[in-house]
Amino acid sequence: MSSALWIAVLASALGTLLIRVLPLFWMQRRLERQGNDDSLEAMPQWLSLLGPVMIAAVFGVSLMPVTPSATSWLATLIGILATLAVWWYKRTLGWPVAAGVAAYGVGVMLLG
Amino acid sequence: MSLQAASSPTRPWLTGMSEAIPLLGGYVPVAISFGLIATQAGFSAWEAVAISTLIYAGASQFLFVGMVATGAPLWLVVAMTLLINLRHVVYAPNLAPWLTSSRLWPSLMHGLTDQVFALAHARLPQLPAAQRLGWFGGAALLAWMSWIGGTALGAFAGGELVARWALMGEILPFALPALFLVLIAPRFTSRRWSLALGLTILAALALTVTGLTNLAIPLAAACGALCFQVAKFDHSQKSEHVQGERHE
Repeated sequence: MSSALWIAVLASALGTLLIRVLPLFWMQRRLERQGNDDSLEAMPQWLSLLGPVMIAAVFGVSLMPVTPSATSWLATLIGILATLAVWWYKRTLGWPVAAGVAAYGVGVMLLG
Repeated sequence: MSLQAASSPTRPWLTGMSEAIPLLGGYVPVAISFGLIATQAGFSAWEAVAISTLIYAGASQFLFVGMVATGAPLWLVVAMTLLINLRHVVYAPNLAPWLTSSRLWPSLMHGLTDQVFALAHARLPQLPAAQRLGWFGGAALLAWMSWIGGTALGAFAGGELVARWALMGEILPFALPALFLVLIAPRFTSRRWSLALGLTILAALALTVTGLTNLAIPLAAACGALCFQVAKFDHSQKSEHVQGERHE
């Protein structure tokens, strides 16, 4: 890699880090200024709304199968239903994910 | 609490690592692909690993090597990389109310990817304050290491791996949507939230299917936020905000 390309890598890395860190400093200063016991109240309303919708958006993007086809979409539906069913029953983090991946895998192998 | 994953009071970093394991199903196959594509684009294996270590942002890394390979001006490569990562700007402030006073937090923000944010946003409020730093450090470190390790695997042995483990490469990434579903499901607490979150999911999926993957997250989130503001049912807006935020 040339020196110019290394600088581009470092600039992208530093920029990405600043995008992740600077808003933290801003929010921490805001929380300190407000000195509120309930820090959630100090959070701007639009910001508390953006957290859940960003996660929902990441979920929507991740639904796209690696190899899109009728089979993989059907397997995705099976995996989602299995994940939801186990989550409804267990209300834990690990088991629903394991069940979802297993159901999706079985779906891909049986339907494919 | 909706998610009651066990946490060890003495080793929160271990709890964080164990709870981040589902992320590996999505990270490793994608990182292997990145390592493979980067070497095919003319980068050496170590350069690919350096990019994953330093930039550590999936979609933008693919764009970075792709644009460099096509001979795009480097200022434009950097600008586009940062533009794609701009969505991360809302992540840390959303976690800030649960972060302790440790000076280590800013350096840990290097590991604040989409997936780590989703996991931390659900788990940090449930953990005692003393365990949060260790938990986040463990989860973020495992995710980062898996991304670097996957890149190295892809760069050094990607072609053979893809040929031999093609089916696993297709099945394991489903761990990501399964994990996000578990994280988002407890937030369907009212008609208003359900409508906003449902619309966000459908919009993100539609944008991804039509090839607008890089724009899908910010655009879909904006749609969902707008929907939440416009849709008004019986309950008061403030109480629903707090309810959704605490996902009770």
